Amino acid sequence: MTSRLPPQPGEWINREQPLDFQFEGVSYQGFTGDVLSSALWANGVRVLGRSFKYHRPRGIYSLANHDANALVSVGSRTNLRADCLPLEANLQASAVNTLGSVSRDHLAIMDRFSRFLPVGFYYKAFHTPRRLFPFYENQMRKVAGLGRIDPQYREAATAKQYDFCDLLIVGAGPAGLSAAVDAGERGLRVILVDENPHPGGSFTWQWRRHAEALERCEQLLNRVHALDNIDLRVGTLAAGCYSDRWVALFDQQRMTKLRAAAVLVASGCFEQPAVFQNNDAPGIMLGSAAQRLVHRYAVQPFSQGVILGANRDAYRLASDLTTHGIDVTAICDLRPEGESSPAGTRVQELGIPIYRGYTIYQAETRRRGTQLTGVIACPLDRQGDTQPQAGLSLPCDGVAVSVGWAPDAGLLYQAGARFQYQSAVEQFVPHTLPPGLFAAGRVNGIFSWADQCIDGQRAARAAAIHLGHPDITEIPTLTHQGTPPSHPYPIFPHPEKHNFVDFDEDIHLADFKNAHQEGYDNIELVKRFTTVGMGPSQGKLSNMNAIRILARQNNATIDATGTTTSRPFQHPVPIGHLAGRRFHPLRRTPLDAWHRQAGAQMAHAGAWLRPEYYGAADERAQSILAEAEHVRQRVGLIDVSTLGKLQVTGPDAAEFLERIYTGRFQKQSTQRLRYGLACDETGTVLEDGVIARLAHDHFYVTATSGGSGSFYRELLRWRQLFQLDVQISNLTGQLAALNLAGPDSRDVLKELTCIDISGEAFPYLGVRVGTVAGVPATLMRVGFVGELGYEIHVPASSAVHVWEQLCETGRPFGLKPFGVETQRLLRLEKGHLIVGHDTDALTYPAEADLQWAIAQNKPFFVGSRSLEILQKRPLMRKLVGFRLKDTEDKPFPEECHLILDGETIVGRVTSIARDSTLKHPIGMAFVEPRLASPGSPLAIRTAPGTTVTGEVCSLPFYDPDNLRQQ
Amino acid sequence: MKILTCPLNGPRPIQEFHYGGEFRPPLDPAQLNDADWGQEVHHRHGEPGVKREWWYHTASGTWFIAERDNLQDRVIQTYLYTPERGND
Amino acid sequence: MPHRLLKYGFSDHHPEPRMFRDVKHLKPEYDAVIIGGGGHGLAAAYYLGKDHGVSNVAVLEQGYLGGGGTGRNTAIVRSNYLTPEGARFYQASVELFQDLSRELDYNLFYSERGHFTLAHSPASLRTQRWRAEVNQHLGIDSQVVDPKFIQSQIPQIDLTCGGHQPPIHGALFHPPGAIARHDAVAWAYARGADRYGAEIHQQTAVTDIEVRDGAVIGVHTDRGYIKTRKVLSAVAGWTTHITKMVGLRTPLVIYPLQAMVTEPLKPWLNHIVVSASLHVYVSQSSRGELVAGASLDPYELISSRSTLDFAESMSGHLLDLFPCLPQVNVLRQWAGMCDMTPDFSPIMGLTPIEGFYLDSGWGTWGFKATPISGKTMAFTLANNRDHDLIEAFNLSRFERCQLVGEKGAASVGH
Repeated sequence: MTSRLPPQPGEWINREQPLDFQFEGVSYQGFTGDVLSSALWANGVRVLGRSFKYHRPRGIYSLANHDANALVSVGSRTNLRADCLPLEANLQASAVNTLGSVSRDHLAIMDRFSRFLPVGFYYKAFHTPRRLFPFYENQMRKVAGLGRIDPQYREAATAKQYDFCDLLIVGAGPAGLSAAVDAGERGLRVILVDENPHPGGSFTWQWRRHAEALERCEQLLNRVHALDNIDLRVGTLAAGCYSDRWVALFDQQRMTKLRAAAVLVASGCFEQPAVFQNNDAPGIMLGSAAQRLVHRYAVQPFSQGVILGANRDAYRLASDLTTHGIDVTAICDLRPEGESSPAGTRVQELGIPIYRGYTIYQAETRRRGTQLTGVIACPLDRQGDTQPQAGLSLPCDGVAVSVGWAPDAGLLYQAGARFQYQSAVEQFVPHTLPPGLFAAGRVNGIFSWADQCIDGQRAARAAAIHLGHPDITEIPTLTHQGTPPSHPYPIFPHPEKHNFVDFDEDIHLADFKNAHQEGYDNIELVKRFTTVGMGPSQGKLSNMNAIRILARQNNATIDATGTTTSRPFQHPVPIGHLAGRRFHPLRRTPLDAWHRQAGAQMAHAGAWLRPEYYGAADERAQSILAEAEHVRQRVGLIDVSTLGKLQVTGPDAAEFLERIYTGRFQKQSTQRLRYGLACDETGTVLEDGVIARLAHDHFYVTATSGGSGSFYRELLRWRQLFQLDVQISNLTGQLAALNLAGPDSRDVLKELTCIDISGEAFPYLGVRVGTVAGVPATLMRVGFVGELGYEIHVPASSAVHVWEQLCETGRPFGLKPFGVETQRLLRLEKGHLIVGHDTDALTYPAEADLQWAIAQNKPFFVGSRSLEILQKRPLMRKLVGFRLKDTEDKPFPEECHLILDGETIVGRVTSIARDSTLKHPIGMAFVEPRLASPGSPLAIRTAPGTTVTGEVCSLPFYDPDNLRQQ
Repeated sequence: MKILTCPLNGPRPIQEFHYGGEFRPPLDPAQLNDADWGQEVHHRHGEPGVKREWWYHTASGTWFIAERDNLQDRVIQTYLYTPERGND
Repeated sequence: MPHRLLKYGFSDHHPEPRMFRDVKHLKPEYDAVIIGGGGHGLAAAYYLGKDHGVSNVAVLEQGYLGGGGTGRNTAIVRSNYLTPEGARFYQASVELFQDLSRELDYNLFYSERGHFTLAHSPASLRTQRWRAEVNQHLGIDSQVVDPKFIQSQIPQIDLTCGGHQPPIHGALFHPPGAIARHDAVAWAYARGADRYGAEIHQQTAVTDIEVRDGAVIGVHTDRGYIKTRKVLSAVAGWTTHITKMVGLRTPLVIYPLQAMVTEPLKPWLNHIVVSASLHVYVSQSSRGELVAGASLDPYELISSRSTLDFAESMSGHLLDLFPCLPQVNVLRQWAGMCDMTPDFSPIMGLTPIEGFYLDSGWGTWGFKATPISGKTMAFTLANNRDHDLIEAFNLSRFERCQLVGEKGAASVGH
């Protein structure tokens, strides 16, 4: 059986290109240009999907890209809306959320139980006894949900695109096209988007038989195509409108992020359902859906239909369908006065019976609800209440509903527009629009195509004026003429309760009554309790009726009842398009390739990749210890290029550093280093590093790898606040830094530099500028690892050269590279803390035994006043070193294991090493001060019920007299 | 994405900026007792209204002040800090 | 099918009464006024009645019940906090939650899913271990697990993050971690509070608070003045607005927190998955939607507007973890407002103003504390003394410079 009509003017299908496809395993044929819904309907398939809760059969309802009951899976893709899924050759689709098949869904039994499952039923049961809830929840989870995801599905990332324009116009219908031409002819750069594959909007389905409208449409399209500055993008959804007119556009391939100087929304309206018994049966659809089927896809919506109407559109629809050989058996007009316009007269002339003041009371079906056989119409009394006893039976296989419209206003709401209910049109219309935002056409309450064209021009001119174009003749605002296009209350109760308000979520009229009875009497509460509007179509077909119902229940106006907040997105959009290609910054030092070649185990440290150690992954502990031993005994080389490297210059440089750091720098000699400790305003340890004075007004400062970026930023702020004459440059990326350490380091280095590096000429904590391996370098005598050592800072571009020269020269000394983990072990042996590792977000200097770094009697540094306060109160914890006593047969402590005193937490391990060059395990821990003196035993909890005993010892563990680094 | 105007670089997308919190004029530590200082350091003016805030244009390293309505997300003006303009 | 549903099928009329009385007029005086008809305020009203017999209570809500943080969060409940003060407090909340559906006779869909906090670096694994150690010591079910275990529990997860991010080194696993139907928590507490006598007034905005000689004496509302000696502010994103009325300064600043939800899918994700370094937390609701949230917005704002930046980065990070999701559709994004504290712990209890009590600073972690904050604040109001569990959270900790550092466990932890 086929419902395909003879070729229609302007149809979207290409009859030259037939396509074979399958739905639920059955083969069908359609055409290129069809969507799955139209192709199936053409093949006589009436059940396209099953509803969410009761698994009722559903067909085409809106055919406006939001039929949320006809969701299908195609291969790994799921939850695809069949009414906007383009037909492709050999497409294999099946309905989501069915047990069995869409035509015989075993879960349809849920419908029989629907009387036991009223709104919010799940809040009232299943929770006692508590142990049964997981079982019930599991069952509910299985029946809820729509499509099934394919865990193996992968997709190549799509690049996002950026764009900008003077005026974005959303919707290429009469208003949008007219606006585009008006703005385009004025020279504005216009982007005109429409989510459909063809432009024209209502021209392409509602006004197809109207010669004047068709001519206008063609003229407008010709102008749009002729003007180079109008960029028409069909198949493009404006999905969200954000701050400062930042708009997300989606097409099949990608997301485009568009900055528009002005946005004109001509998105139109969603036609709205009437609520009557079985109003969801396949074959019952919106009038606009029937016309879309006919004119876009040349498909007969039904052969014998009843129209439920409440506006002029219903009468135009009747004539339209009749012209296409469809038998319109009756119009039931909710309005007692009927339609007096020429459109009404024409229908009378066609001999179609018109029942004025009638509604459809219920639809009759057979074959378990899959086939519509007729409707029972009944008169409405003066209050608009149904009189079912006077009902009459009208046989039909289809119903077209034309009772009203709701604005497609999502973008306007998101952009900050405010709406007001206007009884002249019985719909919400924009009341105030933020600057740069404009609305035209049906969304603005203008319903005749000719007026929509004028309204489009009006809005385009207002936009041009907003954009500063001179000499523009404004067009006065239009208002709707004639009877309202929407009925104020197309909603009718029925004792059997299958009169659906929300098709996505299977919510019927009584659910609203019941929710209200329970006290859910605010539109947001109604939404949250009944879930109205929360389904895949986000209430496009239900929110307006829900508001009408609630307003009546509350005896309030529509305005006072209000709307729920509109949120992005306009239609559901894929995560993949939103994500696009992902960019994640990763920093590699200039020596990265060398490290890899040398077999380094690389690890992420903040944004950086750094060598942990060199050697096999399964020889971690041995490798680290061997590297450490080598540094202690001979010489090692580590890449410390990740260190923050800041240059501070200017007459006030020393003064500035004294305000930032806890120490003193005014009297620091040139060519000398000092330790620098910085706190934040609350006295918390923020940063540490060394501060080298290269000249009276020139300091070179190192900072931690992880914190230097934000530290630099803070320095710039303090500089501005202090108003000191100082310049700060972040040289972190420009310079590489290498640390040559070990007893033989001097002998290695002296081969490569002309600087006198003898102990007398270049002592510990000295700094020199010169060359190393022919490259300009800054040399610093530091002792982080506790050995004689030189930190060598060179331009990043020369790092490999210098590193290789050092390796080469060091070969006779057995020089070996070492990694960060080795450095951590060495510094632990030396008792040096690492900020952020041994300190936390609330550590202040006294706790970390850094009191020595705070200059006394300094008038001010950042955090000084807070430290004064903190230092007055008893210390709560102290960072100490410890060694382990009994480790045999017990789990070894790890960093962050707790230290207990009975049941009380008295501390925490911050650093630990099982193997050290000291031949015994060592660690650092925060402990309560009473446990901080050397010799105190520490009970370290290493497993439930198990403690290992440590003993506090004085720091450093290694070379307490600092002889090695001199 | 919002647009913010850097006093040196003009209007730029907000992704290029870092928010630096409420602008607080420098205090004289000597003038405050311990509790007052504790409050000054931690407490903020978080209530709705037009606030003076620190913003940082990351690409150019520019700190500046923005007067912004934290209810409407509307920026009234932006300018570079000077003691005269900042501390009044 | 539970027998409780039978009454619906076999009665002519919907057999459910109003969940709380529709009280038309404000009384001239109440023993206590609670500002904010979200979970916290309603829970406080409930426990005031239940535990302390204080029934002359008004809950004033400027919008609708549960319309603030309660209805905008991602409904995660857990207690694996870092500080002993925090962990103890949230554990008490979890224990109340576990029995709450029964106690309030309202199915809150309290669903224990198991909560993974992923670690993408040795450093974050250290923090997780710290939390696990504190948790275990306090009897909270919480442990560090290795990548193999994560993969066995969540087969769809990509431990390498597609090479886009540092790989997953391990996780903090908290089996009692749960999700719940957040709105229902507010509704059930509302019904419970009503039964103990509290009046619930929606669409009632507080316009000012009357303080005389350092003590609260009454509250001005857009429906008139009411006398009271005790006012509890439980308004999340509007705390700074309320504290200004009494001239109280706090460290609170308001940041939006955004979230999004996908179309419903058949069950595939059984756990709650959190990654602090990817700024993502995600779970699958009992309706089948993926509910995902991120970290706070980058700047202060007292508004619940959405940004595209959020949806983009959230989506990218979801794909880093779950590469099978690119064709899954996002239905809706939204935002809530969070009153943030410097130490990521709440601000609760007495204030320098006699009779003015704060239940605030709930940042991004307020929902999980709903029952215990209600219970402890009710105690505090009734006895005019901070409940033991919340002593550490008093506002005075800031002037004393004695913070409760929960940042490592609360940020993006949810």
